[in-house]
Amino acid sequence: MPPASVPPLLSLTGVSRNFGERLALCPIDVELAAAQCVAVLGANGSGKSTLLRIAAGRDTPTTGQVTYDGRPLAEDDLVVRTEIAVVGDMVSAYPDLTAREHLQLVAVAHGAGGRAEALVDKALGECRLGDHGGALPGSLSSGQLQALHLAAVLVRPRRLLVLDEPEQRLDPAARRWLAGLLRAEKEAGAAVLLATHHAELAESVADQVVVLSDGAVIARGTPAVALAAIR
Amino acid sequence: MTATRDVIAVPDSTAPALSLLRELRRDHGRKQAASAAYWVYLVAFLVLVYGGSAIAAAVRALRHPPAATAQTPHVLQAAPAALAALALIVLVVLLRDALWRGPVTLPQATVDWLLGTPVDRGVLLRPGFRRSAALAVLAGAAVGIVPAAALVALGLGASGAGGAGGGHGTSDVLRLTGASMLSTALLFACATGVAGLIERYPASWSWLRRATPAALAVAAALAGLAAWAMLGRPPAVLTDIALWSGPWGWAGQATMAAVRGAAPLWPLAIGMLGVLALAALAWAYRAAAGVPGPALRARAATLGAMSAAVLNLDTRSVATAYTAAGPSRRARFRLRPPRHRQLVLFWRDLLALGRAPSRLVGAVALALLAVGLVAVARRGGHDPLVPVACAMALGYLAAAWLCEGARLDADDTRRSVHLPFRFASLAWWHAAVPSLVLLVVAGGPAAALCLAAGDPRLLALLVTVPVLVGGAMVNVFRGQYPPDLFSGVDTPLGNTAAVRIIFWYGWGPILAVAPTAVLVSSAIGSPDPGALVRAAVIGAALAAALGAYAAHRAGRLRAG
Repeated sequence: MPPASVPPLLSLTGVSRNFGERLALCPIDVELAAAQCVAVLGANGSGKSTLLRIAAGRDTPTTGQVTYDGRPLAEDDLVVRTEIAVVGDMVSAYPDLTAREHLQLVAVAHGAGGRAEALVDKALGECRLGDHGGALPGSLSSGQLQALHLAAVLVRPRRLLVLDEPEQRLDPAARRWLAGLLRAEKEAGAAVLLATHHAELAESVADQVVVLSDGAVIARGTPAVALAAIR
Repeated sequence: MTATRDVIAVPDSTAPALSLLRELRRDHGRKQAASAAYWVYLVAFLVLVYGGSAIAAAVRALRHPPAATAQTPHVLQAAPAALAALALIVLVVLLRDALWRGPVTLPQATVDWLLGTPVDRGVLLRPGFRRSAALAVLAGAAVGIVPAAALVALGLGASGAGGAGGGHGTSDVLRLTGASMLSTALLFACATGVAGLIERYPASWSWLRRATPAALAVAAALAGLAAWAMLGRPPAVLTDIALWSGPWGWAGQATMAAVRGAAPLWPLAIGMLGVLALAALAWAYRAAAGVPGPALRARAATLGAMSAAVLNLDTRSVATAYTAAGPSRRARFRLRPPRHRQLVLFWRDLLALGRAPSRLVGAVALALLAVGLVAVARRGGHDPLVPVACAMALGYLAAAWLCEGARLDADDTRRSVHLPFRFASLAWWHAAVPSLVLLVVAGGPAAALCLAAGDPRLLALLVTVPVLVGGAMVNVFRGQYPPDLFSGVDTPLGNTAAVRIIFWYGWGPILAVAPTAVLVSSAIGSPDPGALVRAAVIGAALAAALGAYAAHRAGRLRAG
């Protein structure tokens, strides 16, 4: 949780989610301030993705309130679309656009204008896609596609990153790179909400860890405390 | 463009982003335009080649519309309620479109790459809505030709067909067709506007789902009124109520006026429909920018799945994608598992039916309709083959609806690996529940009719149940659509692709409906009491043969 002096950027209060009569997420409180990272751990079906979809404004909680920078959070809010970068539910790509062109599109859509080229070059390099900028999505491996989605975050401004298992399909070296990237994002002032299966990733970047099981919090606290509780 | 803790100014990036997208996808757009042009050419070519005789007949009908017959006055009486019923059904279908597709749609890639950016949603979404509205108006106008053609064919095309006859055939037919096209175009426009609003406001979705059965009940009541008007003379006030009961009634008034001038306030009705359509379109156009992101994501995913299924001509996947787009359902219906292994598929199929009661209700309705049709055919005195064939087709549909359990196993052969049965034998096991349900549903009314008439011949219907279920099973276990069917084989009579595709989809109903139609019509048309026994023996043999064939297909499905 953020220190009392730091106002939370993202605040989830008493948030729960039912699908029909199934309770996917028990009431939960999460607060996240600038330059902080909260990692959510849990098995498949534990409610991680549901929590992150709500935190990104892409789903509506059954109960509770979600605020972003003091305003009710909704994906359709222009400020939310400008400031929150989401990775996790991108499922497709334009089959006729190259990796570079996808990134150009995102950069221009976020007002990069003439700086788009430089931003794209930098992001491609950082995400180790430098040699694949001209490749169509169909010729990229699943790991490279995941790297492309992460690169799309880097070509846009962001105050909050909502990342649902960003490490999936990445090899160990790429996962280490991802940990470094997330630490750098925090240092630059962005808040990070991360759902992951990798305790090591959470341990290396998170300030707080929330562990979910069957939609309920079973442990929370600093990485050392929360992970010790479940080990 | 970095991570920051500070507030980020919202950029005005809509124009450059969409301009870049257009530029990047210019080649793709050209290919799409070429593809669309090819399809237009192909459809026009097929219409000209295969529809030549129909077009010639239409031109003949335009010049010399069929004369009124003794039935024409009855048709004229029934038409207002019938047109209102049809319009209401069309309206419900178009409005429900908003629940899974909607007039405001985006391609999946645009949803994934642009929806989460500050690009103006109005600029992104409104062109799609404009396209949908334009297509709806064109489709509505085209659909309007159908009721006009039906009324002309029934003798209502000539001037004063309801009465004197004769007159200016061509201009009457054109006026009727124009009125019908205008009405349906406005109805489609109105439906598109309202569907756009429904898509925009998710709170209306559950309302629409709840209202659908009521709307269908009203349509059924209107159809009943039409049937009453065909056979008797219902009070005129009921017809007036049908014509003014809502946009579906208003839509029929111009058409009615064109055939007899007995809808004197038709300009008011068409005006109201036009105003409603314009208002709905204008409101929906403004509201399009506010369609919620989750709704757009869900619709893009459904459309993607459905497009892939349609391109593969995979009707089952189309249905699955449509069902998946509905609200998530909870398994409320419970049934204690059986103790005996032989009953396990029986239990499983009962669960499938209990958890999709609409299937059961639909199948029961179709089966009862089939029984009624056969009963009417038996009393008719004419050759009963055609109505009996229609009844058998309805019975086949009822059987097919009840085979969901089998279909789920056929969709993915891995689902049944834990069952203690050979896959091929599933065709037999899964036939039990549909057969029993149909025997109960059709058997009760058939027995009652037999007792009432003192004539057991209607019991021939029961013989058809296992045959129809067998035919349904043949279709269930047909497997994935084989892509090589598209190419066909060149023969001196032409390419076989079309015929093979028809047989691939229709093999089950062909094998079941054709013989049962002959069997039942000969049984109920023959005074010989032995005809019923003959029908029973032949039906049992047919059912066994179809069951064996379905099992053979299932075995191949597992092996392949």
